Amino acid sequence: MSSRYNVGDRVTIREQFSIFYTRTQAYTRGRTGTVVQQFESGLIPEDEAYGNEDGRVEPFYKVRFRQVDLWPEYSFPDDTLETEFSESWLLPAREDT
Amino acid sequence: MSQPADVARLKEQIAAIEPAIRTPLDGPYDITNDFYRTLMQIDHDLGGEPAVSVRYLEKEEEDWELNVYVTCETLGWRHVWNSEERRRLGNCELGRTMYLGIPYYGRWILAVAMMLLDRHHITLPELTDKMDEVRARYEGKAA
Amino acid sequence: MSADHDHDHTPITASEEVSEFEILEVALRELAIEHGLFSAEDHRRFKEWAESREPAGGSRLVAKAWVDPDFKARLLSDATAACPEVGIDWNQPTGEGTPSDYTFFHVLENTPEVHNVIVCTLCSCYPRPVLGMSPEWYRTPNYRRRIVRWPREVLAEFGLSISPGTEIRVHDSNQKSRFMVMPMRPEGTEGWTEEQLAAIVTRDTMIGVALPDPDWTAAAAPSGAG
Repeated sequence: MSSRYNVGDRVTIREQFSIFYTRTQAYTRGRTGTVVQQFESGLIPEDEAYGNEDGRVEPFYKVRFRQVDLWPEYSFPDDTLETEFSESWLLPAREDT
Repeated sequence: MSQPADVARLKEQIAAIEPAIRTPLDGPYDITNDFYRTLMQIDHDLGGEPAVSVRYLEKEEEDWELNVYVTCETLGWRHVWNSEERRRLGNCELGRTMYLGIPYYGRWILAVAMMLLDRHHITLPELTDKMDEVRARYEGKAA
Repeated sequence: MSADHDHDHTPITASEEVSEFEILEVALRELAIEHGLFSAEDHRRFKEWAESREPAGGSRLVAKAWVDPDFKARLLSDATAACPEVGIDWNQPTGEGTPSDYTFFHVLENTPEVHNVIVCTLCSCYPRPVLGMSPEWYRTPNYRRRIVRWPREVLAEFGLSISPGTEIRVHDSNQKSRFMVMPMRPEGTEGWTEEQLAAIVTRDTMIGVALPDPDWTAAAAPSGAG
């Protein structure tokens, strides 16, 4: 499956309202970061969690965020956080600047 | 087994561990969408919640805890379920009080029970009878 | 704090009675076997594998990488594929890995510029095939709530003070990848054998909440690290 994003791309996490199950942390939603790694495609957790083994398969990406972009009070500008997303959680970056 | 006084004490204990949401919750006629979204917060998604510091303790794995882990993994190996189903059942479908109140592997084994019942691999009377049998076996051992 | 390595078992009930979780587990395991969902032999085999997992696997990876730059390059580019060189096979024990740990393993290299630390805020994902079972504190809501937002404070509680000029990089392992930290080789270990080096690479250094200490000896090792 071809990947929509490349390492180095700026992406914004979708702000969907999840019910019952998610692996996309609330603290990442609406935040913008940089793709640092691509992973092979796999079943999305929203399908896997209900045993839908024939469900949607998507590429996965690791995204790096600046901590100051995640937490309003964060005071060390160089610190970062990385976590992963399936492709449909990502949008081309919506920079706030 | 349990006496009425035990039941009353149990009810008091349950009341004392209600979720720490200070709005009294007793089947309201109507709630705002904002409050609905708060209640629907997915229990395992707790990164960034404010909390005071605690001592981080070491604890050896009990044998039953290792057995729970192995039972869950063996069910996955034999394609009875997958690990994401386990995480949904044991982390997100117990409710916040049980999520925060039950030890880690206790939640894993509750997830097994929920899954085997939902999939009709076992029935509830079959399970509760088996639990009585196992409990009696342990009590026999202790006597 | 982990340095205290308190081994008190947290009691599930105040008395000596058998835990209801144990009764539930035995009942469900017996029913699963009776219904043919798996065999007693399947359970025994998986348990034997689980009991053989310990942080020493990760320690061997780090020590070998410290002395062998080619191995280090292989480990950082494809950690799953490099593991068999120290006797760890991510396909065990089922032939296709474990159901919960998958086979997508990545090693995070600490440098003078970057200090890595791992967490799984949503559950407690952990690279069991190389590090064994996760420590209890790693699974607590408290660690998971705080390490992503107040990493410097939490690391300080572990006795680890990271210079403000060093980037702290938190890895919230929330999908199918599993991560382990490769700490920097400390000064004062010149000429050490791989085995000696492995002895100072404790579990906590591979989670990222501690640094290897050349004065630390295996004899003084708390069992929580072994």
